[in-house]
Amino acid sequence: MTEITFTFDGHKIAAREGQSLAAALTEAGHRAFRETAKSADRGMFCGMGVCQECLVSVDGMPNLRACMSPVRDGMVVAKQAPFPEFSGAHVAPSAPMHLSPDVLVIGGGAGGLSAAITAARAGADVVVLDERKVAGGQYYKQSADGSVLDAQQQEGAELLATARGSGAEILSGVELWGAFDPLLFLAQQGETAIVARPKTAIVATGAYERPVMVPGWTLPGVMTTGAAQTLWRSYGTLPGKRVVVCGSGPLNLQVALELARGGAEIVRLAERAPHPLQRPFASLKMGVAGPSQTAKGVTMELALRRRGIDMRNACELVGVTQSGSELLATFRSAAGVEDTIGVDALCMNSGFEPQNEILRLLGAEMGYDPAMGTLRCHTDDAMHTNVSGLYAVGDCKGLGGAPTARQEGIIAGAHAAAATGHGDAYDLFAARRALASHRRFQSRLWELYDIAPGNAATMPDDTLVCRCEELTIGDLRNGLEGKPGHAGTLKRSTRVGMGRCQGRYCGPVAARMVAEATGKPVEDLSFFAPRVPIKPVAISSILAAEEALYGEG
Amino acid sequence: MARADVLVIGGGVTGTLAAITLADAGASVTIIDAGVNAGSDANAGSLHVQMQSRFMRLYPDQVPNVEASLPFYRAAAEEWVRLDAVLGGVELVRNGGLMLAETPDQLAFLEHKADREAAQGLSVEILDRRALDQIAPWLGPHIIGAELCRDEGKLNPLLANRLLRGRADAAGITRINGKVDGLALTARGVEATTAEGPLQADQVIVAAAWGAGRLADGFGVSIPTRAEPLHMNITEPGAPSINHLVQHAERSITLKQFGSGQIVIGGGWPATYRGPTQPPLVRPSSLLGNVALAAKLAPAISGLKVIRTWAGMNTTIDGASVIGALPGAERIIMAIPGDAGYTLGPMVGQMAASIALGAQTGFDPERFTPARFAV
Repeated sequence: MTEITFTFDGHKIAAREGQSLAAALTEAGHRAFRETAKSADRGMFCGMGVCQECLVSVDGMPNLRACMSPVRDGMVVAKQAPFPEFSGAHVAPSAPMHLSPDVLVIGGGAGGLSAAITAARAGADVVVLDERKVAGGQYYKQSADGSVLDAQQQEGAELLATARGSGAEILSGVELWGAFDPLLFLAQQGETAIVARPKTAIVATGAYERPVMVPGWTLPGVMTTGAAQTLWRSYGTLPGKRVVVCGSGPLNLQVALELARGGAEIVRLAERAPHPLQRPFASLKMGVAGPSQTAKGVTMELALRRRGIDMRNACELVGVTQSGSELLATFRSAAGVEDTIGVDALCMNSGFEPQNEILRLLGAEMGYDPAMGTLRCHTDDAMHTNVSGLYAVGDCKGLGGAPTARQEGIIAGAHAAAATGHGDAYDLFAARRALASHRRFQSRLWELYDIAPGNAATMPDDTLVCRCEELTIGDLRNGLEGKPGHAGTLKRSTRVGMGRCQGRYCGPVAARMVAEATGKPVEDLSFFAPRVPIKPVAISSILAAEEALYGEG
Repeated sequence: MARADVLVIGGGVTGTLAAITLADAGASVTIIDAGVNAGSDANAGSLHVQMQSRFMRLYPDQVPNVEASLPFYRAAAEEWVRLDAVLGGVELVRNGGLMLAETPDQLAFLEHKADREAAQGLSVEILDRRALDQIAPWLGPHIIGAELCRDEGKLNPLLANRLLRGRADAAGITRINGKVDGLALTARGVEATTAEGPLQADQVIVAAAWGAGRLADGFGVSIPTRAEPLHMNITEPGAPSINHLVQHAERSITLKQFGSGQIVIGGGWPATYRGPTQPPLVRPSSLLGNVALAAKLAPAISGLKVIRTWAGMNTTIDGASVIGALPGAERIIMAIPGDAGYTLGPMVGQMAASIALGAQTGFDPERFTPARFAV
């Protein structure tokens, strides 16, 4: 890998070509990337382009996400000011790209790549849009330099190679920001505006991580477990020397082990749920439903124990504070005993939120799953939604993990191809059987973890809920006194969800709070109304799209 | 519920100011609001005073009404200045509004317009490019001049709505969620029909914007209130740079920067109506056209990202407001701003309240009478 250098607020920093800016800065010990309107520091949190917290100014251009921007030799990076000066256009628009494939696959993870392979092999003209530099998705996270760390990354590399060989065109680094009826999609790839009018679309946008909302969860150095995993798997960067991992679910277990093997000191792995062995019957059911996956989990746990890592169950994060360069994380045990540990980085994952923005915008029907605390998109057996030509697969449709997404992708890919005159989507028995098995394992698995949405009622008043607008749960409680009939009313009165991340973290909390206060069941309409842009989009990109679509000079 | 002295239908800025005025005068007041598609909820906070070119183009037959209303708009902006002080600050800034010209023809149109507006008492001036460079250096190079109307400004509507709501609660105004399906005169007052049962009041103020015309049907008038679904966009924050409310001599656009540093781009691009219970749908053509136009007028903002769009209802009638009792049904008082409802709302609401209280409004009542729509 080539060594390159750049500066951050005047400090010279060495980096490896292919690293993200966020990874290079983290490796050099810089955590605070931007200052908020209320003078708080923020750093990388989600690591996948969702939270919009890691904004920096690059060569005088503000508002770039460090987690999604590759580092370049000689770049001048500065901490982003809360109100940056206007900088003109980020990019000079180049010739637009018009796409009208049989099948447009949105998201190049496990589900999307599987769909693309199946559809392309059936003879359909397939384009995959993926937002990352290298496709593969969050589960298969590929390394920036093509090296392979383990079997999971290898499996992803093989899937990606198969997809590339299938005839499907994979466009990387594409941010899709507009979705309109009937199946019109607007996106941006570098300097190029993309206008896609496919015959069918398969949405495979996956999920982002649900945080553990406690006072201090917005401090630089606190990040999602997946963000830490991306640092390590994609860029060979550890989130810190001393790391604590907490929340609930098997990803925490896996990433703690990966980071430990990478050389980090895992000071603690705190799982909110009791140990599976305390629920032997549920554990047995999981073992029966998925013997190989269960064995994998047991192996990971044993490996962690062999390394002497302090693994605690029924242990809950209650707050984080900053002390010098150290984060002080306070935990509470089931017995109510609190203790505080000092770390460089705190990783949190408490389940997942589906990235269903495109589906909701296009009017796909959703139902609420109270066990997971998320919406699930209704589809038929072909993974087709109620919207003509629109399919949904994987975690964006309803959480089910990568193996589930792969089977759903195969099914959707075959049906979308058949709907455009390629193949008959008949021989899907193996996929359906495998899908049923994976779903059974998933439902058993999550019974053992505590990923139901946190109870907002127990959160201390000073817990930030809306990172962007810097609103606490106390602010929302005050807002409830105005008796809002809908989360949208609470949004207008408090500004909750009005920032750059568009309510991705606070929105589900606000929706449940208002539903509870009004005594209404949580449903699709309880959440903030879906709106374009799906992700913040530069005005220059909108200008480029307008010229591409309407050709006005 | 208990019988109210006055029932106000519509809890937006117009109805709320009517209710506060009445409650301050000692009346027991109830606001009923349907809670969907309120214009005040979607408003972007422009204080409009000068004649809007968009309106002049779309509704040329209504221009005489608008022109005659100009002093009224100016007074309405003054009323917002008063409210800004009373409510403790709604981020009101009154640096004036710029209407931009790209061609000599457009500038000539603005010169003519400015003359007409000056005759109505507005503080207007035509600026050349050199003068513009002093106050708006972020403008694109093809802008040759502009009309500056010093009476115009901007405010934060979300903040204003919240403070007004608090003021109404403090005044003891009852607020109920619901939709009035019809009005009928009774021996003692007015009865409003709702799905939850009838509501009784001595008087009713109809501040229901595009829903108001329907409620007046059957009382000898046909008020053509039309819902006009419009589109808006907002960016991430930038350094405070744009001081004015910005419009264009020929094209539909409003552009301004809030106290939050965010830039709001709107100006009447259409959205798609989806019935009374759902917000209007954003159209790609409006999103692209509106924002692209903004980028051309102010290229300096093109590095900012749009973080949200939304659509909401504007209401149009005939270019003038409708304020006054229904002929033959004096207990029912209409309060509908003619256009630029958020600018006019407080003034219209207070005038309707004055009428309900039997006081003078300060403006020629004939100009706004619902009787002009007698059938």
